[in-house]
Amino acid sequence: MTLALPSTRQEAWRWSDLSALPTLAEQAPRGGVIDAHDFWIGDGPRLLFIDGHYDAGLSRPGPVEIGRTGDASDHPLARLAGGDGWVLTLGHDHAPSGTIEIVHVATGGASHLPARITLAEDAQASIVETFVGDGWANRFTRIALARSARLMRTVRLLQSSGFQSIREEAAIAEGASLVTILLGAGAAGTRIDAALSLDGEGAFAEFGGALLARGDQRHDANIVLRHAAPGGSSRQIWRAVADDSATDSIAARVEVARGAQQTDAEQSLKGLLLARTATINTKPELEIFADDVKCAHGCAIGELDKQALFYMQSRGIPPHPARALLTRSFVAGALERIGEEAVRDAVLADAEAWLGEAA
Amino acid sequence: MILKIENLNAEVDGKPILKGLSLSINAGEVHAIMGPNGAGKSTLSYVLGGRPGYEVTGGSATFDGQDLLALDPHERAAAGLFLGFQYPVEIPGVSNVQFLREALNAQRKLRGEEPLSGGDFLRLARGQADALGLSMDMLKRPVNVGFSGGEKKRNEMVQMGIIDPKLAILDETDSGLDIDALRVVSEGINRIMRKPGKSVLLITHYQRLLDYVKPDFVHVLAAGRIVKSGGPELALELEREGYAQVAA
Repeated sequence: MTLALPSTRQEAWRWSDLSALPTLAEQAPRGGVIDAHDFWIGDGPRLLFIDGHYDAGLSRPGPVEIGRTGDASDHPLARLAGGDGWVLTLGHDHAPSGTIEIVHVATGGASHLPARITLAEDAQASIVETFVGDGWANRFTRIALARSARLMRTVRLLQSSGFQSIREEAAIAEGASLVTILLGAGAAGTRIDAALSLDGEGAFAEFGGALLARGDQRHDANIVLRHAAPGGSSRQIWRAVADDSATDSIAARVEVARGAQQTDAEQSLKGLLLARTATINTKPELEIFADDVKCAHGCAIGELDKQALFYMQSRGIPPHPARALLTRSFVAGALERIGEEAVRDAVLADAEAWLGEAA
Repeated sequence: MILKIENLNAEVDGKPILKGLSLSINAGEVHAIMGPNGAGKSTLSYVLGGRPGYEVTGGSATFDGQDLLALDPHERAAAGLFLGFQYPVEIPGVSNVQFLREALNAQRKLRGEEPLSGGDFLRLARGQADALGLSMDMLKRPVNVGFSGGEKKRNEMVQMGIIDPKLAILDETDSGLDIDALRVVSEGINRIMRKPGKSVLLITHYQRLLDYVKPDFVHVLAAGRIVKSGGPELALELEREGYAQVAA
């Protein structure tokens, strides 16, 4: 397949920098011996993918199967992710024992991998995906949640270089709940895309996280969240931190269809500039075709509170830890929404590690 | 001598506020600075604390034998200086416990001391919180967020008790306190700081605080300098006759 990438002249891609992708797409991964030991959090099912290839020897997949997902997307990056991938199908009222962990290690080049998550009525699962290494990791995940199913997803984007592109498409039925929380740290560029549809009455969707960028790193999120049925609620809580000449961009759109009355949608897009040379773009959008809805949206970009910094220093905390503590408290608002303590702690530690690296 | 200020000049936004202020405090003494609005009382506390934007244009300040003005704010804290804020700052997302433990251990590190363990720190914090009538639950909440004015001032005293400084500069610690809270805070100041080798500089508008924390010396600050100094009786004189009369 030839690599046809969207141009920044297209509105949804205006803040993206995909310029590294054609070169990465032509390179071969280096491969080699991989030690993913540091990236596992718990003792539940785990899957290791190296450059998009399943490593059966270092995995214990539990209920997850490897095979064709049968899904296709017309999304410009997701459409590249065909072929075999991972599939989680849970029957009525089923829940796997423990959090499912998936670690994606990239060793250069490009890898494309699809995934499908299908939860029947009342089924529950929690999945953590961790991206490390370098190269281009391109992923497409299709999610279908039946009535009252619950899925918690945590995505740690920690590659040290290269590019991570994530596309999530989800259909959420009556009373079902999907929560996806992402952390963009590391040093690689990122593109996060999501199209979530609250199809059933009283469905819940949350999609948000923290994007930490420094150097000339770019994180770019583009979310469309559609309320198609009455009584649904949604949250998009994002915290963006940019230092040096880095750029974070978040376009978050809420659509409320005709008839989706009593929708309760909340958007909170906040940015923290650690340097005057950094950039944070936010684009909250609302498109509402129902008349009895509650849509709250807040957008704020600022710098560290100088008063708080002096207060902390006057108590003995040196400038760098004081800045890190304030920055951590800023991003914690988005990451504390991760339900499981061990996962939340791991993600907060990832953020901490990023903050600790600042000079 | 714990603090020696000589001919201190300082400006804020290019505007001179302190104009040749001199003041000496010995170990074991409590000094009170009183003065009308705009005299430079808060500026003095911020200059001594090292707040950015408060520029020293002349004079010197020596703290426990060191050039205070050459130190960064966190180094001044580690050297034993505590600044009690008139308006304690709210820090959402950072708990009091986390904040104070980080502060105390940063100070200890700079002084070449071992960090305090979590258990030892919590015992210390609990003791100070109990003495000031703040619950541990409040200490687990974000710094000053949702605290009343009185609770914020009591929290300042809890911090002072945990940090255990050599010199406390308390900027209008009495403002916004009712009589009961004033008594609790004053008892805190006496309990923590009325010890040999420790000194206090109280900055206040009113005599009331001085009924509870008895100063050894009282100074009148007007137009950026100390214009009169005396014993505790000077505070009563000020209360009776007003600043204009006494400072004249």
